[in-house]
Amino acid sequence: MQTGFYFDQTRCTGCYTCVIACKDWHDVPAGPASWRRVLTIEEGKFPDVFVAWLATSCYHCARPACVAACPAGAITKRKEDGIVVVDQAKCLGKDKCDLCLQSCPYEAPQFGAEKNAKMQMCNLCFDRLKEGKKPICVAGCPMRALDAGPIDELRARYGDKTNAVAFAYSAELKPSVVFKPKLRKSLVKGRK
Amino acid sequence: MTTAEKAYYVGTDMNCGGACLLKVHVKDGVITRLETDDGDEPQLRNCLRCRAYRQRVYAPDRLLYPMKRVGERGEGKFKRISWDEALETVASQYKRVKETYGPAAAIYLTTGGDIGQVHNTRTAVRVFCLAGGCTLMWGVASNEGWMFACQATYGYPVGNDHRDLPNSKLVILWGMNPAVIIDGCGTAYHLALAREKGTKFIVVDPRYTDTAALVADRWVPIRPGTDAAAMIAMAYVMITEDLYDKAFIDKYTVGFDKFKEYVLGQEDGMPKTPKWAEAITGVPAQTIVEIAREYATIKPAALLPSKGPGRTAFGEQYHRAAFTLAAMTGNIGKSGGSAGSEITQRGEIPFAMGQAMKTGGNPVDAGSPMRKDALPTPISKGPGLVARLHNSEIWDAILKGKAGGYYSDYKMVYIANCNYLNQYPNVNKAIKAMKSLEFIAVQEQFMTPTAKFADIILPTCTFLERNDAVWGAGPHVAYQPKVIEPLGESRSHLAICDELAAKLGIVGYNDKTDEQWLEQIMKPCVGDFEKFKETGVKKYYQAPTIPFKKEIEDIENSPFPTPSGKIEIFSQQIADMNNPLIPPIPKYIETWESRNDPLARKYPIQLTSTHPKRRSHSQFDNIPWLREVDPQVIWLNTKDAKARGIKDGDLVKVFNQRGEVIIQAKVTERIMPGVADLPEGAWYNPDKAGVDHGGCANVLTIDKRSPGGAFTSNSCLVQVEKA
Repeated sequence: MQTGFYFDQTRCTGCYTCVIACKDWHDVPAGPASWRRVLTIEEGKFPDVFVAWLATSCYHCARPACVAACPAGAITKRKEDGIVVVDQAKCLGKDKCDLCLQSCPYEAPQFGAEKNAKMQMCNLCFDRLKEGKKPICVAGCPMRALDAGPIDELRARYGDKTNAVAFAYSAELKPSVVFKPKLRKSLVKGRK
Repeated sequence: MTTAEKAYYVGTDMNCGGACLLKVHVKDGVITRLETDDGDEPQLRNCLRCRAYRQRVYAPDRLLYPMKRVGERGEGKFKRISWDEALETVASQYKRVKETYGPAAAIYLTTGGDIGQVHNTRTAVRVFCLAGGCTLMWGVASNEGWMFACQATYGYPVGNDHRDLPNSKLVILWGMNPAVIIDGCGTAYHLALAREKGTKFIVVDPRYTDTAALVADRWVPIRPGTDAAAMIAMAYVMITEDLYDKAFIDKYTVGFDKFKEYVLGQEDGMPKTPKWAEAITGVPAQTIVEIAREYATIKPAALLPSKGPGRTAFGEQYHRAAFTLAAMTGNIGKSGGSAGSEITQRGEIPFAMGQAMKTGGNPVDAGSPMRKDALPTPISKGPGLVARLHNSEIWDAILKGKAGGYYSDYKMVYIANCNYLNQYPNVNKAIKAMKSLEFIAVQEQFMTPTAKFADIILPTCTFLERNDAVWGAGPHVAYQPKVIEPLGESRSHLAICDELAAKLGIVGYNDKTDEQWLEQIMKPCVGDFEKFKETGVKKYYQAPTIPFKKEIEDIENSPFPTPSGKIEIFSQQIADMNNPLIPPIPKYIETWESRNDPLARKYPIQLTSTHPKRRSHSQFDNIPWLREVDPQVIWLNTKDAKARGIKDGDLVKVFNQRGEVIIQAKVTERIMPGVADLPEGAWYNPDKAGVDHGGCANVLTIDKRSPGGAFTSNSCLVQVEKA
């Protein structure tokens, strides 16, 4: 079984509630490490502009590059739900190694500001999933733009689009995510 | 001994009015982590601000002990003292000021702050009223222009219900940005639902806001302070193309003919054509024609003007013009329509709630006549009294007193849960005023820029540290159980006031415990009080509230509470004021500090100070999790930036005759040329030369009220240079 995310890019307002809810739940201090991030995309020329956001995290790839890249065997993919997790006790630390970060096109591996920081990243709130709850970011999104669960169920419910603005799907890694992408349309000519 | 983790549902109590629902996990008396509403939809999900509340409770700059000043005012040097000494000092200073100068010399300053039902800023008003009186304020920074317009036009203020939005075929968001300012828990979500149902959206705003990015089919950038001109030209189109609802106008309004004469130019020889408006607003005439036609013909349509464009000189006119357009299109009182007023949806809560503790009457107010420019039928009389100081004129009043034409000389202030110095216009003048006072007491949670000027600091706890209930801008009420003990020696509002009242020798200030107050206030609207405490929230699921439905369905038996009983496009009450700057029909009046002001040669950029994403006004500015996701920046159009050699991310100097701010620039196509935006609420952080590095917009804004009482913070000229 593979667990993954759904993101409705048309609903995201870039409010960062998912980011803060995640930092609080997982007790991640202010600083460079953020398991969930929001990218802002701004295009066009005044007054015909286009703005979108991409709420991004680890996509728990079907074929995760980080697992293969880690020389210490610290990153593993759980058999029962396909969630990619890191064992910080085994991680060599960023001062010695950042091969996982280099291998990941989505910048999912995160490191704090401390010396030789150990890798940390989204674990899809597997503890919450086990209790029948949604991940903290999904349960908190004020726009109901996020969902998570078995990727087959997500595809059945939301379709199988793997494209979104500022996201490049890797056919090699197979990130476990489906999208409702935001479409670029002219504001001057009108969207309808 | 450790205890098991326990979770509590708590309604949030911040100055946004969202009153959303937190689920707070506590272990061994410490908050461990937060969730949000996980009950039935519509869930009251928090935004990023309250999701960071754990960092707010345990912030290193929390005020934990009473303190007295030991350095210069504003220097921020304090010494810990006992509660007894702190409150004894406040009481004796008040008594001294009252006996020496009269009670009006003592000012009580507050505003939004905590909005709990028991612990709110009115509790201290009662203390000073019973102790002999004090000077109170009028002029709500958020919406005073809107209040004036509502009272004059409809007789009472009213907003729209976001749950009704999916019933609209067209929504015009005029300066409205609920994706950031919240505007009632779930408003942005309901905008998205409406869009998904096929509602068309027009966004009129100098900025392409986050809300515009969510819903806009069309973005109409407009120069700040010119909104009324665009609306009046829309009326011109509807009149000359015969597109307005004559039956509605005849049946429900008075004075349309006088407005029509003005619009057509019969009054002043100037027809208010789209071309006329184009020159003022920067909106192409053809765009004005198109949006006027759409608003007049797509039904039902909701015009939702935010209060931001009303925070300009003559901002009352913008709101009055919006109400007039809503009447001309016959959208008032109908599902999917609007009364030309933005979102607030309090209508259906059984109105037993409301801050129950009565002030007891203010002896200073009691001796005061009414202002000539106050409406004779105000919602409450207080704001119309000469003895009240307008919030934007307070610093001037303190500096000048009676010699400046004010009601009194002013010698002390008691500031409760409000970052006054930061949040009212003209910070540099505020500093002079604060330094001139004989005594300043500040009741606060944090060492804010205002608290630094205190002589005595009284630490207040947060809403997670006392029992209360909250009612915000939505159709729900929420419980606020005390989930942890107050940090340090901080105390609740009411606990502080109880002891201050005792020190002032007041008998009978408060005869109830917090629980007794809560039960009295909450029982009538929640029924089963014990169940309410357990679930933490009561949601009211009736159909969406339609403002003025009753009046429109049966005007004979349910007249508007105006002198004519109708919607007053022409107001005789205003005409009687005989003030050309408060015209009896909505008119466009050019603001001070507009782009045509001679000052614009020196300061050519129009500055707006909109609501920030990561703060509720000035609340939350000190929270690290929030600071890193939304740094304080000034928005500057690419063209303006290029002309000044400014690149995205550069530090820039923003200045005018009132002050100077150094802050990072966001160079963007999302704001119109000639306009810059510095979100309000960032904490003033001056260097030795008095230049602010915190990004506090009020260093730049003007402390001058609009004739009808509107704040004018968005009528502000600045220059921007590379720092």
